[in-house]
Amino acid sequence: MSTERVDAYAEALLGIARAEGRVEEIEDELFRFARAVEGNDALRSALVDRSLPAERRFAVVSELMGSKALETSTALAAAIVAAGRASDLSAIVDRFVELAAAGREREVAEVRTAIELDANDQARLAEAIGRAVGKNVELKVIVDPKVLGGIVARVGDTVIDGTVRHRLEQLKEQI
Amino acid sequence: MRIRRLVAVSLLALGTVVTVPGVAHASGSAGEISECLLEKAEELEAKEIDAATFDVEAKNCYAAPSPLLPATGEIIWGGIAFLIVAFGLIKFGFPALRKGLADREAKIREDLEAAEAARASARNADADHEQKIAEARNEAAKIVAEAREAADQVRADLVARAEADAADIRARANADAQLATERAMADLQAQVAELSVELAERVVQRNLDRDTQKALVESFINEVGGSRS
Repeated sequence: MSTERVDAYAEALLGIARAEGRVEEIEDELFRFARAVEGNDALRSALVDRSLPAERRFAVVSELMGSKALETSTALAAAIVAAGRASDLSAIVDRFVELAAAGREREVAEVRTAIELDANDQARLAEAIGRAVGKNVELKVIVDPKVLGGIVARVGDTVIDGTVRHRLEQLKEQI
Repeated sequence: MRIRRLVAVSLLALGTVVTVPGVAHASGSAGEISECLLEKAEELEAKEIDAATFDVEAKNCYAAPSPLLPATGEIIWGGIAFLIVAFGLIKFGFPALRKGLADREAKIREDLEAAEAARASARNADADHEQKIAEARNEAAKIVAEAREAADQVRADLVARAEADAADIRARANADAQLATERAMADLQAQVAELSVELAERVVQRNLDRDTQKALVESFINEVGGSRS
């Protein structure tokens, strides 16, 4: 998918979220949904498969978004899938999150941890990463057991990896 | 030359004297013998002689008066014939004979000279042939030597090339073996690393409780917060 098209979809999402006045919630829910689809091949294949009836794919989206999600978030996710852009869902949502953060004059820091972080930890982590990269950042936290332990943060092209997984990989390289 | 001619004429005259009168005597003695025998027979009948004398006389009739000297007439006619023959020979025979001999001598001389020339020519030709044969032999020897040298060079080149090829093959085989060993070692190391990390991951996973996870997060925050890019 071309960058222009991703940008257009992302700006549309941002416009709708702003119109609804729920930018941060929609941003957060779509971000989690995109990460969930990204980490599950079967789920991604089901959403991309156009031979499946649209109702079936919508049902998958609704089930994945959960009952607590905003209807707008679910509708936007379903719209992307219905448009046949499920394969570009992650790129569209990432760009949407970036545009939203830029609107708040912030950079998005994608953080992966093995455990949930409380608000205090997230605030301290955002401050620490912001100091490290010299920008105001806001976190998008993803709980990913694959990191085993520790945290990996990506801000734009900058990656700060302090995970146990990374250390084991380094150990493996050394061996 | 002159002496030989005189000797030849004398021999011819002597031969004529000996042979021609002899023949004339032999041809004329039959009548004389008969006449002598009749005469002696008549004397015996007339008893002028006895039987013994008759035998002696009869034997004498058979005997020639001289074995060397013919009758005088025969000598004269023989001499005349001899002179005619000698004259003819001296006048016509000997010059022709001399001319023939001279011609023959000249012919023989020419033949000898021609033969000598031919022999010289043949000798020269032989020498040329010998020289050419020698040159051909030298050339052949040179060609053989060059061919042998070329063959030696080719053989040396082939041997050198074969040795170089063998060295290359050995080097490649050694390199391949070295590479295979290194690959096997690398694979083994990779497998060892993989297993070690897998094992370490399991151990770490089992020992990473909530407090440890929190400590790791805290450590990350402190480290990142203390650094500035």
